[in-house]
Amino acid sequence: MAEHVIKRNNVNIIGNGEQVMIFAHGFGCDQNAWKFIVDAFTNDYKLVLFDYTGSGNSDISQYNQSKYSKIEGYVQDLLDVCEALQLKDAIFVGHSVSSMVGLLAANQHPEYFSKLILIGPSPRYLNAQNYTGGFEQKDLEGLFEFMDSNYLGWSSAMAPAIMGNADRPELGDFLTSSFCATDPEVAREFARVTFFGDNREDLPKSTVSSLTLQCAEDIIAPAIVGQYVNDHTPGNVLVQLKATGHCPHISEPEETIAAIKQYLNAN
Amino acid sequence: MDMQAGEQHEFLTSLIDVAELYDSAPCGYCSLSPSGTIIRINRTLLNWLQYDEQELLGQKFSLLLSKGGQMHFEMFFMPMASVKNAVKELSYEIVRKDGSIMTVLLNASVRLDDKGKVAAINNVLTDNSGRTQYEKDLMQAKRQAESEKKRLQFMADLVPEIIWTATAKGNLDYVNARFCQYFDCDGWQTRSSFILSKVHPDELKNLLRVWRECLDSGTDLQINVRLANPAGQYEWHLLKAAKFLDEEGNLTNWFGSCANINSHVKALKKKDEFINIASHELKTPITSLKAVLQLLDRIKADPANKMIPSLIEKANRNVNKVNTLVEDLLNASQMNEGQLHLNKTEINLAELIGDCVYHIRVDQQYDIITTGAKEATVFADEGRIEQVVNNFISNAMKYAPDSKQINIVITEQSGTVLVEVSDRGPGISAEKLPLLFDRYYQIENKGGKYSGLGLGLFICAEIIKRHGGTIGAKSIVGEGSTFWFRLPKEN
Repeated sequence: MAEHVIKRNNVNIIGNGEQVMIFAHGFGCDQNAWKFIVDAFTNDYKLVLFDYTGSGNSDISQYNQSKYSKIEGYVQDLLDVCEALQLKDAIFVGHSVSSMVGLLAANQHPEYFSKLILIGPSPRYLNAQNYTGGFEQKDLEGLFEFMDSNYLGWSSAMAPAIMGNADRPELGDFLTSSFCATDPEVAREFARVTFFGDNREDLPKSTVSSLTLQCAEDIIAPAIVGQYVNDHTPGNVLVQLKATGHCPHISEPEETIAAIKQYLNAN
Repeated sequence: MDMQAGEQHEFLTSLIDVAELYDSAPCGYCSLSPSGTIIRINRTLLNWLQYDEQELLGQKFSLLLSKGGQMHFEMFFMPMASVKNAVKELSYEIVRKDGSIMTVLLNASVRLDDKGKVAAINNVLTDNSGRTQYEKDLMQAKRQAESEKKRLQFMADLVPEIIWTATAKGNLDYVNARFCQYFDCDGWQTRSSFILSKVHPDELKNLLRVWRECLDSGTDLQINVRLANPAGQYEWHLLKAAKFLDEEGNLTNWFGSCANINSHVKALKKKDEFINIASHELKTPITSLKAVLQLLDRIKADPANKMIPSLIEKANRNVNKVNTLVEDLLNASQMNEGQLHLNKTEINLAELIGDCVYHIRVDQQYDIITTGAKEATVFADEGRIEQVVNNFISNAMKYAPDSKQINIVITEQSGTVLVEVSDRGPGISAEKLPLLFDRYYQIENKGGKYSGLGLGLFICAEIIKRHGGTIGAKSIVGEGSTFWFRLPKEN
């Protein structure tokens, strides 16, 4: 079982410390997304990196559409990794949609986690009554359209769309050599799962202390959403970053590292 | 004349006016700060977007995109630029100042500072509008082709015949839904070995040989084979294939059909059998006739020979037999071609039956008793109805030779008259009853010897049908049979 999970989710363990940090990548990426910040933690921590099934170098043959058409499928991936490595009181670091995956996993098995670090979390992307998520349905449809016509570049999206050859061996090579190596179909399904989800009711159930890292000018997870997470999650600390955009661990790694370290040292 | 080296250098230098190249390039340039703010932009791009430079400097590039594009930009473009330091060919829709949309391909390379950090992102935008339209047209064409393919598939599946195609080498590569229905298989089971396993062993070798010849020579295939249906019964099929040549004349495919011709083949077989029977039937009296003539020839010198009257009588009997047989054949073919003419008059059925019975009684030892509605009349062709009654009575005598009594009952019923002819013979089993009126059908008699053409009841049935009547038979094995017909009284 353990071996199967380690292979399925391409689990990599690095670092010299005792305390475990487990990093969960966001939508459309894989564990490479952490490459700018992992070095800052390897001296003091043991780092667990993994790819969700269907992403990166995971075993794509284990991808099962019905399982991964719900966020619970990804939560199970994370729990499987925790169980396989017999983690206890690990520090969870999740980007974007993985924030919610981590929170849901911790609600089910709080013993695996001591702290949750949520980078740009959002419990619901769609606007609702008395709730601002930042997006209307048509905005998201627009994104899906973009993903369809744009996966990793125009030529890698249009040719297969027009010719319809589903099995192109060169696509595999192309994916493994690129950042965010995710199968286009999987990426789209992942996007549907995450962007149409609503986990607002899960926030108050959290029993593990957590940090919300809120970027400036983040259109994916605007400040008002970060505030909502902070207001509704017990034991949550909100830190506003100067970094703009949705990926501070990529665009402003130093600031992100500093914010994480400060939180870990203070708590 | 070549330019002097100095002149050429000057000319080349004049071509590379960096500022001019940047501003008037046939593509859009813009540089972004690491956070995505526009810090430099060329004139071409400004012209495309209809903005002044000051309106865009300091603005987020992503604000030029639709909301879905903004998300994509934040989640894909920015991380990719930071991690890979280059972005290749992402397609975006950019909103111009007037709100109109232009499609661009975005390529980017990243300028790093001394510490390897992103200092700026340099973007090249190419106008992709024409290509986007072309892509849309291509997608449209693809959808059309797919729906056309579906339509053809649909037709091929609904056609009531089995259709298949094979590669130039003769391997099956498509079968339609009828094929799958008939052989109770899935489309993927259509390897050639599967279909070959359905061919009757007697025809397999020949089929393979003929098919091989077709493949080698490119001639069309046409062959009859027996194929096993899911119940395991073999049925005759006409297997056809025609080659398909591409524009260059290369054989690319075989298009084939497979028609079930089982009933056709069976009917032909029945006809062959019938001809065999008819020949035998005709031959027997002719052989007798020949023998009589030989005898007469031998004794012709003696006109007083006592054998002569009986020989002539025998000759007559045999000629009559031949005559009857030929008449039956003529009748049957007349029925077939719809040339049976009825000459209808009002006739009294009891009288008609009486006449028939009189002729039969004269030379046979039968007790034929007619009862019922002796006054009943019908509007019918007298000769034809006589033919039917005679046939019923002679059948009764032929197939029930030991029962010496034949009962005929006439019944009048609501505008029709029913005539029943019953014997007390061995009877006919229930499964054979419905076949009696078929053409060429003949009940096997005990000796296995043919007797008659099997046309009699078929002709009777046709005659009654043409009169608008009905005909039938009922029987109990061991007790006897009743043949009946019912005619309308009026025309």
